Amino acid sequence: MKLSISLAMLALALFILSLLVGPAALGIGDSIAGLFAGGGEAAAIIMREIRLPRALLGLAIGFSLGLSGAVLQGFLRNPLAEPGVIGVSSMAALGAVAVFYSGLAGSSLYALPAGALIGALAAVLILLAIAARQGSTLTLILAGVALSSLAGALTSLVLNLSPNPFAAYEIIFWLLGSLKDRSMEHVLLALPLMAAGWLLIALSARAIDALSLGEEAAGNLGIHMGRARFLIVAGVALSVGAATAVAGTIGFIGLVVPHLIRPLTNRMPSSLLLPAGLGGAALLLAADIAARLVLPAGELNVGVLTALIGAPFFLWLVIRARREML
Amino acid sequence: MRERRKRLSRLSGLTFLAGALLSAPVSAAPERVMSLNLCTDQLAMTLAEPEQLISVSFLAREPDLSMLHEKAQDFPVNRGLAEEVFLEKPDLVVTGTYSLHNTTALLKRLGFRVEEFSFVQTLDTIPGEIRRMGALLGQEARAEKLAEDFSQELDAIAKSQCDMRPTMIAYDQNGVALGSGTLADSVMQAAGFANLAADLGLVGVAPFPLEQVIAARPDVIVTSASEGAPTLGEHVPRHPAIAALPDTRIGAFVPAGAWSCGSPAVIEAVRALASLRAEIAPCPQDATQ
Repeated sequence: MKLSISLAMLALALFILSLLVGPAALGIGDSIAGLFAGGGEAAAIIMREIRLPRALLGLAIGFSLGLSGAVLQGFLRNPLAEPGVIGVSSMAALGAVAVFYSGLAGSSLYALPAGALIGALAAVLILLAIAARQGSTLTLILAGVALSSLAGALTSLVLNLSPNPFAAYEIIFWLLGSLKDRSMEHVLLALPLMAAGWLLIALSARAIDALSLGEEAAGNLGIHMGRARFLIVAGVALSVGAATAVAGTIGFIGLVVPHLIRPLTNRMPSSLLLPAGLGGAALLLAADIAARLVLPAGELNVGVLTALIGAPFFLWLVIRARREML
Repeated sequence: MRERRKRLSRLSGLTFLAGALLSAPVSAAPERVMSLNLCTDQLAMTLAEPEQLISVSFLAREPDLSMLHEKAQDFPVNRGLAEEVFLEKPDLVVTGTYSLHNTTALLKRLGFRVEEFSFVQTLDTIPGEIRRMGALLGQEARAEKLAEDFSQELDAIAKSQCDMRPTMIAYDQNGVALGSGTLADSVMQAAGFANLAADLGLVGVAPFPLEQVIAARPDVIVTSASEGAPTLGEHVPRHPAIAALPDTRIGAFVPAGAWSCGSPAVIEAVRALASLRAEIAPCPQDATQ
């Protein structure tokens, strides 16, 4: 609990810092006044319509990714499982791209989560089917790599097929997500879905603890495997799908955060869930602040930064896992 | 010795030039012209005889980019590939200096006559571009008339301006603004607006942070009128933060594609913005009219 409180404080501090960073040079006083004052002052509009939604999305999407990573690692008993690595995020992006750019729903933003949830759900179901048949750590990761590459290629194909010549330029957003220029519309679109996903994952907490003793033992403890599987599949699809729908693919947060935090917990998978979510929120907010500071005018995609941190970490995990197997 | 050779080479250069000048009227107007660039498309479609122009670029049919997109339906389109040119065997290829460098170089090596047009960045160079295209196509009279009308209307609009210069930002897909050195900047100046993005130091067509648009509080924000297939980028100029600016006029204002190319049609953009200026910040002479 103490761990969760300190991580919550860290996330809150980064949330406030995120509100204070941006290309319009607003002083701290102006920023705070703008956040609470009404009216059409430029500072008020910038704070409430541009920076607040961005910080809220950073918080909620980071929470979703950290939480999903923790639950997938516990449920699949696989230290490398993570929505980005196993292809859930890229399938969600593919779903969003397929529905949005086809123009089926006009240019309405509602098309994004609708498609992303379908894509994420398909990915989780495919991966679970593979993991159920063959339990090895490596199989799941390789299947994830295949799924990610396929989804990435199809995303690029759909964007290139769009009759609008500008669509193809948006590939970078979908492959290396961003929180730039989001609005409250995006928050309203994604936050309820993400929150529903968090709830489902929280309900599976007892099941993943029992599962750490093996599937048979879990059954003996009265855990209904079908129910647990449904909660986790739906929870991950909802939270990662909604996150990807509004921010593109942001990788590695769900991988790095649970590993950093696990040594600080009692190592029960359920006790990792809340801290991993809060840690994910803190990491994404920090990365998003850095993305704005590194290249203030053009702005870096936040997925570039999370990959710069996450990919070497992933490599290190692979090497360590192999050493332990020997 | 070296001096002499230099003089000789200069002499031979002169003879060559003289020969070229003499032979120019002899070479008749090209009969099969291919345009590979959106902007040369506009000039060629305006000036050429319909049967003279055998194809235009596929972008010429894009309603958002091409002022003459309806007219472009009457022509076959090309994708700017060297193979297409090779098969069609045109006697003149017109293209932009910035587009398709490799194709241009290849076509020249294959012996095609390729004329390149640089990307027009100010309004005053447009009459020259019109005349040049007219000369290439053998449509000098038509070009002269268009160029003259263009200059006259531009002068008339310039005379109707005063010290009232409302501020404007042209904010496009993906949060890109049109800064100094762009044709749009030149159009805004001519129509009596101050281009805030250029005043804030933006050069060319470049990303401009949404926060700075809000902080600058321009009198007018020009967004592009997009009717094509959906993109995420088109949602940026429609961001709720822009709509929340209380005293700013937001709209397309400029006819779609009117300032994407230096063609005679740019005058429609100048005309549209000049009447907007007269409406929101009337000059003394506007009131007396």
